[in-house]
Amino acid sequence: MADVAVHRSITTEFMKGIVRDNPVFVQVLGMCPVLAVTTSVANGIGMGLATTFVLVFSTLIASTVKGVVPNQVRIPVYAVVIATFVTIADLVLKAFFPPLSASLGPYVPLIVVNCIIMGRVEAFATRNRPGISLVDALGMGAGFTLSLMVLGAVREVLGSGALLGVPLFGEGFSPMLVMILPPGAFLTLGILMAVFNAVKAKNDPVLIRT
Amino acid sequence: MKKMIIVLTGVMVLSGLVLAGTFASLADRIEANRIAALYASLERVLPGTDPVYEELDVEGPTIYRATDAGDIIGYAVRIQTQGYGGTITMLVGVSPDLETIRGVEFAEQVETPGLGGRITEPGFRGQFAGLDADEPIEYVLNVAPDREENEIQAISGATITSRAVVRGINATLEPALETIRRQVR
Repeated sequence: MADVAVHRSITTEFMKGIVRDNPVFVQVLGMCPVLAVTTSVANGIGMGLATTFVLVFSTLIASTVKGVVPNQVRIPVYAVVIATFVTIADLVLKAFFPPLSASLGPYVPLIVVNCIIMGRVEAFATRNRPGISLVDALGMGAGFTLSLMVLGAVREVLGSGALLGVPLFGEGFSPMLVMILPPGAFLTLGILMAVFNAVKAKNDPVLIRT
Repeated sequence: MKKMIIVLTGVMVLSGLVLAGTFASLADRIEANRIAALYASLERVLPGTDPVYEELDVEGPTIYRATDAGDIIGYAVRIQTQGYGGTITMLVGVSPDLETIRGVEFAEQVETPGLGGRITEPGFRGQFAGLDADEPIEYVLNVAPDREENEIQAISGATITSRAVVRGINATLEPALETIRRQVR
């Protein structure tokens, strides 16, 4: 993957994060925030963008300093870098978006243990140049954010009868409470994952056989 | 070996510096947000035209005194109680004579959305305004609450949360009012 990836086009590298290697529906990474915060679209966008921010800067730094960092302390160094950006993201949210910060609660600091970040740093950034690593991180971040938005939209519409906080139905609508509770997260994720993979398999006949 | 130590130490120090800088530049703003949120909650339990809230220097639960153009318009007691999903933090506003509850506001709660989470809705929250602050509050289920008996209606399906709120107020409000009487007057 290492050298081949460098030669692939920027578009392919970006798009793979959204479809082929989608972090949520294909790689099934970072399930804790995916399931926990997607009770609304706003939460999904907030969590997606915060994760993308951490992912972009962590992979950028990891791919830049990879030659200097001795192999034995690789993981601790990346962990410190990731934790630093997570703390910055948390402080910025607290300072400029207090309501969003309150509704995401402990899940912002928990980005530090999101496997997408360490996963991309280890699997991609340490083997590729900063430029293409940035594209990879942006693609993965976009895929993560879009997935969280879709999950958030389904759950908010069914569970709260609203989209982005705007009520969609009249007074008589009785929301499906289960959708904003934990079981709703698993149900929605499972159904969306099935749909995603069905569509993906249709366009890629090789997948059906494997 | 040496390189390992240098690199790791360097990264740690750099990270510490970056975080210290970020925190120093944002700390004022974060604190201002916290105070603004607190003021907004206080204003909902003790509204006034141009109210000023100050924290009293007392032991036990935090107590705020609200003044409007120099007149005391009431006190607010910060009460914490263990709910179904976690700690519930609320502000209970009482009249200046400490006899009537003016309102209850939930500052933090992680109760189940749609069930215990409904304590923040006016239908539940609003029941406390006008209750007797000196008497314990009772909760009833599925029957109309008797206001004379200091009763409120529990949320159906969220008895644990409703009970936690009532118990929290009963356990903390009376001693807090006693503190106000003793130390402030």
